[in-house]
Amino acid sequence: MGTSRNVERRTILKAAGATAATLGLAATTGCGGDGGTSSDGTVTIRYAWWGAEDRAQRINKTIALFEKKYPKIKVKTDFQPYPDFWKKFNTQASGGNPPDVFQNAIGFLRKYDAKNVLLDLSEQVKAGNLSMDGFRAGLEKFGEVDGKLLGVPVGSNSMSLVIDKPVYTRAGVKPEQGWTWDDFDAAMKKIRDKTGRAGDSGMYGVMYLYDLYLRQNGKAFFTEDGLGFTEADLTDWWTKAKKGVQDGVYADPKKVAQIKPKSAVTAELAGGEFTWDNFSVRYSAEGKSEYSLAPIPTTDGKKTGQYLGSLMLSASKRTQHPKEVAQFIDFMVHDPEVAKIMGYDRGVPATQAQFDAFKPTDEVNKSIAAYETSLVDAGVLEPITPHPNGADICEAAFLRIAEELALGTRSVDDAVKQFFTESKTALVG
Amino acid sequence: MGTTVTHAPAMEGLAKDSEPRHGPVNSPRPAALKRRGRRETLAGYLFMSPWIAGFLLLTAGPMIASLYFAFTDYNLFDTPKWIGLDNFSEMFGDPRWRHSVKVTMWYVVVGTPLKLLLALGVALLLAQKRRGQAFYRAAFYAPSLIGASVSVAIVWKAIFADDAIVDRTQKVFGIDVGGWTGDPEMIIYSLVALTVWQFGAPMVIFLAGLKQVPRELYEAAEVDGAGPMRRFWNITLPMISPVLFFNVLLETIHSFQIFSSAYIVGGGAGSNACGPADGSMVYTCYLYVQGFENSRMGLASAMAWMLLVAVALVTAVLFWSQKRWVHYEEGAR
Repeated sequence: MGTSRNVERRTILKAAGATAATLGLAATTGCGGDGGTSSDGTVTIRYAWWGAEDRAQRINKTIALFEKKYPKIKVKTDFQPYPDFWKKFNTQASGGNPPDVFQNAIGFLRKYDAKNVLLDLSEQVKAGNLSMDGFRAGLEKFGEVDGKLLGVPVGSNSMSLVIDKPVYTRAGVKPEQGWTWDDFDAAMKKIRDKTGRAGDSGMYGVMYLYDLYLRQNGKAFFTEDGLGFTEADLTDWWTKAKKGVQDGVYADPKKVAQIKPKSAVTAELAGGEFTWDNFSVRYSAEGKSEYSLAPIPTTDGKKTGQYLGSLMLSASKRTQHPKEVAQFIDFMVHDPEVAKIMGYDRGVPATQAQFDAFKPTDEVNKSIAAYETSLVDAGVLEPITPHPNGADICEAAFLRIAEELALGTRSVDDAVKQFFTESKTALVG
Repeated sequence: MGTTVTHAPAMEGLAKDSEPRHGPVNSPRPAALKRRGRRETLAGYLFMSPWIAGFLLLTAGPMIASLYFAFTDYNLFDTPKWIGLDNFSEMFGDPRWRHSVKVTMWYVVVGTPLKLLLALGVALLLAQKRRGQAFYRAAFYAPSLIGASVSVAIVWKAIFADDAIVDRTQKVFGIDVGGWTGDPEMIIYSLVALTVWQFGAPMVIFLAGLKQVPRELYEAAEVDGAGPMRRFWNITLPMISPVLFFNVLLETIHSFQIFSSAYIVGGGAGSNACGPADGSMVYTCYLYVQGFENSRMGLASAMAWMLLVAVALVTAVLFWSQKRWVHYEEGAR
């Protein structure tokens, strides 16, 4: 009996040893994978972005092109919807394991620069691995913060008013460049009265639109390190909002809340919505009607406050392959074939070469190109300042508190106070 | 085998009877016995080691770390900064935190009793022998198996949305609320309905308890002329009170921890809200928002510990109260 037990114990120990060894090996291979250099000199870089399935298909095609041109570089991909993307990225970056290269936007440059996550790509520009020439409309400056190149724009977009065209036509409303907020308010009432549909989906909670309104009045939503407006400003904006919801010129917030993540425009709750111009591509796929882009209302009949926004590609400071990452970004922003595959999915291509390579044939994409060209021609575009650290939390709070106001769980004064309290906490951190 | 029983009967099963044995059959010498005892202890720990390692690495370690983080300002990136009790004072002063406590309390106080009442009621019906009994039990138990899943939460959201089945049925009766999931006040009740729907788990435990009640008690009561209500109040309820206590405890603790259903029905992702105007912002949802969306892990850790303390207090009160209403059979305690 004693022997039999000994044998068993040894077997167990061996088994345990084997398990430990396997785990150890697995861990080692895991590390090898993360480091990304295999024995034959092939380098693997990780690329993450936010978006949906259709964007993923396009991006995978562009990666296939890239890997053909650079056979020694393999690209591993990962994508999530926008809010989930940042949660995952945040966790990975804090754990010291962010993707080598990833999609980024203006609101996150300072945030992740402060956390020491972003690679200054200007070194790679000097080394000749990445070219910053040939960008349109001054876009090459968009990813610069305090003299560091933290992101390279892949496309440009602009805030716009996306409208349900037949609804506007039925109401007899024709928005024109330079129309005023009074014209807009009258149009909203007209749409409500003539079509029975609310005019707008809930503009009072769109941070980027309020930013434009503030810019029309010589202010801005953000300064370099804080909020660029006062409690009195916001009280005016939201007092008007509350009345609009009560009068039914803005869509019923209860219904809007329930159709998320679908847009209130494509769900036929509202005649229009202030959002990014490239969203009209998504809306055309989502809704049954015909959608087009209208100009932003103005305060003085001229200034819209608009600027070009942009999706960018950034690299992480921890990457072990800065050269390969730079070559990847360079390929993605300059190669004409990439533009033909991507279209206007991430906005109008940032470089002239890519812009020329893709000529849209369908109405939706054509109207986006026309819209941005008209903005450039009208000379209304303003420079953009990178948002302060914590801006993304302010944006979310703005949207949420505006919804609470519309749903009637907060008074205007209460909502304004709550927003300023939360922003203060977010912008300090 | 019976003659060789030692202090470790469990190990006996491992030795095969046909094996030749060394030494005297009746009892090994004390030294060998001691050595074997040590070996067995070692083997025991070895068998437990995956679990112990898991507990230390995945539960105890993170818990101690989070206790430390609760007193720091920690954003995941920078080194935690010790700030003493600031997280706790911020928490108590935060109207959103108080709102989340209120929403959670509503959920616990309304949902748990309803769920247990329904579970007990159905258990009483199913305790009687009738045809198809097994089928009914399985049918009522099924929601408990799938109810916590993400897919059911998505279905739930669709059921209670504007112009969906619940809303339309209500309209027939002239009650139009325009969808529960869009209403800041109503959305929490759609979650209550979701938890009540999963009454199967406590029901099964009640059924087991009901089977334990001796039949002769009922027979004696019937002879004495006690009606069904009387029998329920004076025999059934006291006899199953330990089971009732167990269910109350389990369901209460469980309700405090509600997360995934609230997060999904509330359409959580996105604007760091949960439900229309935070209507389904339960405690753990707010904890998640602060920790993962606002990157305030220190504050989130403090919130987690606060929840632990609250649940421990509620549990303590329940244990204290059982002296007054839980009856254990003589000698069973």
